[in-house]
Amino acid sequence: MSATLTPGGLRAVTPATATRPVEKRWERLAPYGYVAPFYVLFLVFGLFPLLFTFYVALFDWNPIGDKTFVGLENFRLLGEDPRFWNALRNTFSIWIISTVPQLIIALILAQVLNNTFLRLANFFRMAMLLPYITSVAATAIVFAQIFNRDYGLLNWFLELLGFEHIDFMSSAAGSHVLISVMVIWRWFGYNTLLYLASLQAVPRDLYEAAAVDGAGPVKQFFNITLPSLRPVIVFTVIMSTIGGLQIFTEPLLLSNGTLTCGTARQCQTLSLFLFEQGFGSFKFGYGSAVGVALFGIIVVVAFINFLLSSRLGKKG
Amino acid sequence: MNSLPQLPARPQSSLLASAFSRRRVLALSALTGGAALAASACSSGASGSSDPNSFEFWSFTGINQKDSVEEYKALAPDVTVKLTEVGNAQETAQGLTTALAGGKVPDLVLIQAGDMPKFMKNPGNFTDLTTLGADEVQDDYVDWVIQQVKAPSGELLGIPTDVGGMGVAYRTDLMAAAGLPTNRDEVGALWPTWDDFIATGQRYTQATGKAFIDNAATTVFLQAVSQGEEQYYSADGDVVYDSNPIVRDSFDLGLKAIAAGITAKLESFTDGWNAGMAKGAFAAVAAPSWMLGSIRSAAPDTEGEWDIAVIPGGSGNWGGSYLAIPARAANPQAAWNYVKAMQSPEQQLKHFLVSGSLPTTPANYDKPELVEHTDPFFGNAPTGKIFTQAVLGLKPFVNGEYNTEISTELLNALNGVEGDGAPADAAWDTAVKNIKTAIGA
Repeated sequence: MSATLTPGGLRAVTPATATRPVEKRWERLAPYGYVAPFYVLFLVFGLFPLLFTFYVALFDWNPIGDKTFVGLENFRLLGEDPRFWNALRNTFSIWIISTVPQLIIALILAQVLNNTFLRLANFFRMAMLLPYITSVAATAIVFAQIFNRDYGLLNWFLELLGFEHIDFMSSAAGSHVLISVMVIWRWFGYNTLLYLASLQAVPRDLYEAAAVDGAGPVKQFFNITLPSLRPVIVFTVIMSTIGGLQIFTEPLLLSNGTLTCGTARQCQTLSLFLFEQGFGSFKFGYGSAVGVALFGIIVVVAFINFLLSSRLGKKG
Repeated sequence: MNSLPQLPARPQSSLLASAFSRRRVLALSALTGGAALAASACSSGASGSSDPNSFEFWSFTGINQKDSVEEYKALAPDVTVKLTEVGNAQETAQGLTTALAGGKVPDLVLIQAGDMPKFMKNPGNFTDLTTLGADEVQDDYVDWVIQQVKAPSGELLGIPTDVGGMGVAYRTDLMAAAGLPTNRDEVGALWPTWDDFIATGQRYTQATGKAFIDNAATTVFLQAVSQGEEQYYSADGDVVYDSNPIVRDSFDLGLKAIAAGITAKLESFTDGWNAGMAKGAFAAVAAPSWMLGSIRSAAPDTEGEWDIAVIPGGSGNWGGSYLAIPARAANPQAAWNYVKAMQSPEQQLKHFLVSGSLPTTPANYDKPELVEHTDPFFGNAPTGKIFTQAVLGLKPFVNGEYNTEISTELLNALNGVEGDGAPADAAWDTAVKNIKTAIGA
C-alpha cells in the first residue's frame, strides 16, 4: 500500500525552475496559511479547553461561587468514589458490547457489498448510511418505543409468544445491551462504507492470482483482504474507542434524560457522571477531574488498540 | 505512528472527507465538557449604560411568559422586552449558571423552585429585591413561598410567579368500576391520611386487579415529605434528612404502597407513564396544578372522566417558579418595574384564568373568579379552590444546597424497589449511603 502521495513525493515532482527568493518564501509559507484555520480553531476550541480542564480539576470550583485550590484532592476522592468505578465499568461494558459486533458486522457487510455481481449495489451502499444520518434523538425515541417495558413492540411480540415482558432499562445487563444495539445501529453503516472503500482499492488480480494458486475464500480473506484493510481497521478501531468511551447521548435519552441513568446508576457512563457532577451539582472541579481521568483512559486504551489492531493479519 | 488509514485517493474522497470530519467532531466532542467549563470562565463584565425602557428576560418553555410580556406591552408601551425562551427549566438554569459565572447576564430570569437552593447559596449573584422596592409588596405573597427565596442574611432574591398546589387527580369511571365512590368530596373523605390512601388503593386493586397509582415515589413519598414543617434541612440549615422522622416515615409510606401492590411501576413523565395515563393503567395520580396540562395532553380521550380530590394530609406543593434579577443586570430597574406590574395580585389572577398557573398571592384565593373557576376536562372540578387550599396549609421550611441530590437519591431508592426489584429492607440504607457519597458528608 503506497498509493498515497507523500510530501516528499510532491517535492520531487516540483520542477526546479529559477524563482525569485520572495516568491519562494511565499510558496514555502502558503501551506501553513492553508492549514491555519483548522489549527487556530483547534487551539481556541480544542487545546485551550483541554488544558483549562486540567487546571480546573485542581480546584474545588463552584461556577457561581468560590473556588479553592485543593491540588490533587479531587483525584483522591475520585479513587474512593464508588460512583466513578461504577461508571467506568458501565462505560467499558457498553463500549465492548457495541464495538466488537459493530466492526465484525461491518467487515462482513463490506465483503458482501463488494461482490461484483451484486445488483442495485449503489442503493445498498447508500442505504447503509441512513442510520448514520438520522439524528440520535430520533433514533433514541424509536428505540425507546420498541423496547418499552409495557407497550413496546418487542415486548408485545414476546407476549404474543407467551413470554414475560422484559424491562431492559431496569438491569445493568439489559440497559447495556439496549444502548449497544442503538450504537451499533447508528455506526455499522459508516464503518461498512469505510471498509468497502478500502476493499475496492485492493487489486482484483491479487485475488485471481491467489485463486490460481489454489487459495480458497477463507484463505484469501485472511491473506489478502485483512492485510489490505489493516490501516482502515486501525482507524475504525481507534475512532470507535474514542467515540465509544465517551458515550453520552444514547444512555441519557433512553433513560428519559435522567443523569444517573437508572435508579441504581446501572447505565451511567463516565460522560454522564461528568455532566452530573459538573452541571447537575455545580462541582466543576470534580467534574473536570472525571474529564481528565476519561481523557487518560481513552489515550491508554486507544494506544493499546492501535498496537493490537496494527498486528492484525501480519505474519509472525 | 501512522494511525491514519491510507485510503485510496480518488473515487472515495468524499468518504475520506467524512472520516476526517467525524474525527474532528469526535475530537471536539471529547473536549466539549472542558470547553463548556472554560466558556463559563471567560469573564466579561456587565455591559455599559442602564436603560430604563428595555430589558432582557430569560424564561423557559412551556410556561408561556409570552402572554405576560404581550400584556405588559399594553401597560407600558415604551418598554421593549427582549424575551428569550432558553430551553426547558433545567436548561435555562444551566444557561443562567454559565452566564453568572462570567457571561452576559439577562436583566430578569425565571427560575424553577427546585433549582433555587443552588442559586441561593451564593446570594451575591442576585439583586436584593428589597433595594428596588420589594419590601412594599412582599406581604402580598404566601409567606412560606416568599421565605424560600430569603437568604439567611435577609436579602430577598425572587418574586414567586406561581406555586404547585397539590390534589389527587382520579378517574371517576375506573373508581366506579371498582365499586368506590366517584364524588370528589366522598373520594377525599376516603383518605384523610396516607395510610387510608394506601388502604383505598388496596380496595381498588383487589376489585379490579389493576394498579391504583402510577408510582410510590412521586405520588406518595414526595407528597408526604412535602407536608413536613422540617424536611431535609433543619430550621438552622443543618442536614437532617437521615434523622428527621418525617422523611423516614414518608419513605416507609412509599415502601408500604409498593408492598401493597397498588403501584403501576411507571415513573413520572416517562413515555410509559404517558401511555399508561391514556390506557387507564392507574386510577389516581398526585397532581400539582401544573400537571393538569400533562394529563390533558397525554390522555386527550379521557376528557371528562377525571376529577380532583383533596390530597391526603390536606396540603402540599410541588414546583413553582420565581423571577430573579442578577446582580450584574444592566437594567435592573426596568426589570423590577415589569415584575411589580405583572406579578401583582390582579395580574396573577388574570394569568391564572388564562393559563391555569396558580397565583402566589393569597388575596386572590377567595376571589369569586378563582373559586368559581372549573375545568371541564376534570369533571368541572373547582381547580382554583382545591389547589389554593393545599398551598395555604403549608408552613415555611428550610431548603438547602443539596435538596436536589437528597431528593433524587431517595426517589431513586424507591423507584429501584418498585421497578427494578431492589430489596425493600435495604432501600433506606442504600439511599442514605448514596446521599452521603453525593453530598460528601
